[in-house]
Amino acid sequence: MDKKTVTTISYLSRLKIDKNNEDKITSDLENIITFVDQLNDVSVEGIEPLTSPLEKIAKTRSDKVTAKNNKEIFLERAPKSNEDYFLVPRVVE
Amino acid sequence: MSIRYKTIKELSYMLKNKEISNKELIEETFKLIKDNQYLNSFITLNKEKALEKASNIDNTSSLLSGIPIAQKDLFCTKDLRTTCGSNMLSDFIPPYSATVIENLENAGCISVGKTNMDEFAMGSSNETSFFGNVLNPWGENLVPGGSSGGSASAVAAGLVPAATGTDTGGSIRQPASLCGISGLKPTYGRISRWGMIAFASSLDQAGPMARTAEDCAIMLNEMCSHDPKDTTSIDEAVPDFTATLDESIKGLKIGIVKEFDLSRLDNAVVKVFEETKRHYESLGAEFVEISLPNISLSVPTYYVVAPAECSSNLSRFDGVKFGKRSMDPINLEDLYIKTRSEGFGDEVKRRILIGSYVLSAGFYDAYYKKAQQVRRLIKNDFDEAYKLVDVIMSPTTRGAAFEAGSKGSDPIQMYLEDLFTIPANLAGLPALSIPNGMVDSKPVGVQLIGNFLEEQKILQVAHSFQKSTDWHLKTPDGDKA
Repeated sequence: MDKKTVTTISYLSRLKIDKNNEDKITSDLENIITFVDQLNDVSVEGIEPLTSPLEKIAKTRSDKVTAKNNKEIFLERAPKSNEDYFLVPRVVE
Repeated sequence: MSIRYKTIKELSYMLKNKEISNKELIEETFKLIKDNQYLNSFITLNKEKALEKASNIDNTSSLLSGIPIAQKDLFCTKDLRTTCGSNMLSDFIPPYSATVIENLENAGCISVGKTNMDEFAMGSSNETSFFGNVLNPWGENLVPGGSSGGSASAVAAGLVPAATGTDTGGSIRQPASLCGISGLKPTYGRISRWGMIAFASSLDQAGPMARTAEDCAIMLNEMCSHDPKDTTSIDEAVPDFTATLDESIKGLKIGIVKEFDLSRLDNAVVKVFEETKRHYESLGAEFVEISLPNISLSVPTYYVVAPAECSSNLSRFDGVKFGKRSMDPINLEDLYIKTRSEGFGDEVKRRILIGSYVLSAGFYDAYYKKAQQVRRLIKNDFDEAYKLVDVIMSPTTRGAAFEAGSKGSDPIQMYLEDLFTIPANLAGLPALSIPNGMVDSKPVGVQLIGNFLEEQKILQVAHSFQKSTDWHLKTPDGDKA
């Protein structure tokens, strides 16, 4: 973990790291990654990953539209919207 | 008549016998909350609507009818501010309520307010909330634990008989232990996650926090339901969790995990644990040493899986659809970056960054896939153990409540706080914590982990302890009459 890696993952996370905090964050991340690196010592050959504790009983439902049109309710909670859309800075000149 | 430190069962009895009216109960609750504002256990109160509901109670069939309940501020509550302890959602008012909130309110509960918590449930001391630290009523400057610290503090201080919490790596059980109350994390999928603000979707589970295991069972009866809106909600019959509470535990086999090295804990904590074992033996339980060979890998496994899921879940906070938005961005990307950098606190950022790292190209197999493989090994260990024992017992925490700021600035020290609680989340198993002794005049808890869907059994084992001991009756004001 170096500052360059931190810059890359900050960008992937769409987060800006405060310059004053850069050293502390880099060393924290370094420590955490070193800590989780103990997983490298475990042999997991042939072991299926477990993505959810419910892998055997999770059910799917039929793909039917159940939601009502709640456009107004959601748009009025947006930081910026007009009567039809969420508004963001211009993306196409 | 004082309502402070009363259980759900006691308050329900008082209401039925007209020792107190529904309205008086709620008025008295808000008075207690006001008189104990220094705890900072609530972020938002729901006074007007709570009093209105109390004046119009029509459902009197349920034990929970008219009972004041505090809701962790991670559950969406219709038309009531829901912040998740974050600046990002400091003005967010949801248009709907979480299924679990609806279930409780339909049973007659009165939601009196939203409790403080670590930001987005990431923390073990309630020191990461945008709304400030929560205090533990058991001592000056003590943390209540986290992330459900506000709920634990409010119940421990006797302001409400019960509260909701959520538990991703111990966020119900660890604060329950540090505040001297009872708290249960059900089997993953027992309670719908719909309307819960997601942290780590394969680990998050809601549960009750109360003064007794019996009250937890009463709450759980109403909180569980199959919910078609949550595909991970279990479609199994929900038993009456109170029905088997009084059954004897004679002959029950309790597993003690060989790999949990108790010699590294404070002597006083070990002494409390050994006394609890002896008490269970006197009730007829039998102790069996079991081995969970991969258990020591739980914390590192968790700190890959949880941040990975967190970085994905929290990508929804972009300043566009709801929540905070940064002013004057240069362009759309700048809007995302500024909003997220201003809206999230340090611990949340740290976990998002770790998540992005372990999920990034070239590292995915080494970290995320590997952690999920180890997760299966840990679950397999539990499957083997439950062939030999009925429940597994351990201390809930490494020690009693610590002082705010005392864990220093090393995040790993705080992460190890959840050493005993994380394994149950990884395996999806139900687990609870009940108070079982005092260390330096502060409460500590014992954890019982049950097999898949066996909440009834751990509640029964907990209740048998509480019927024959008085640790759950201790309050910061002394023993409860």
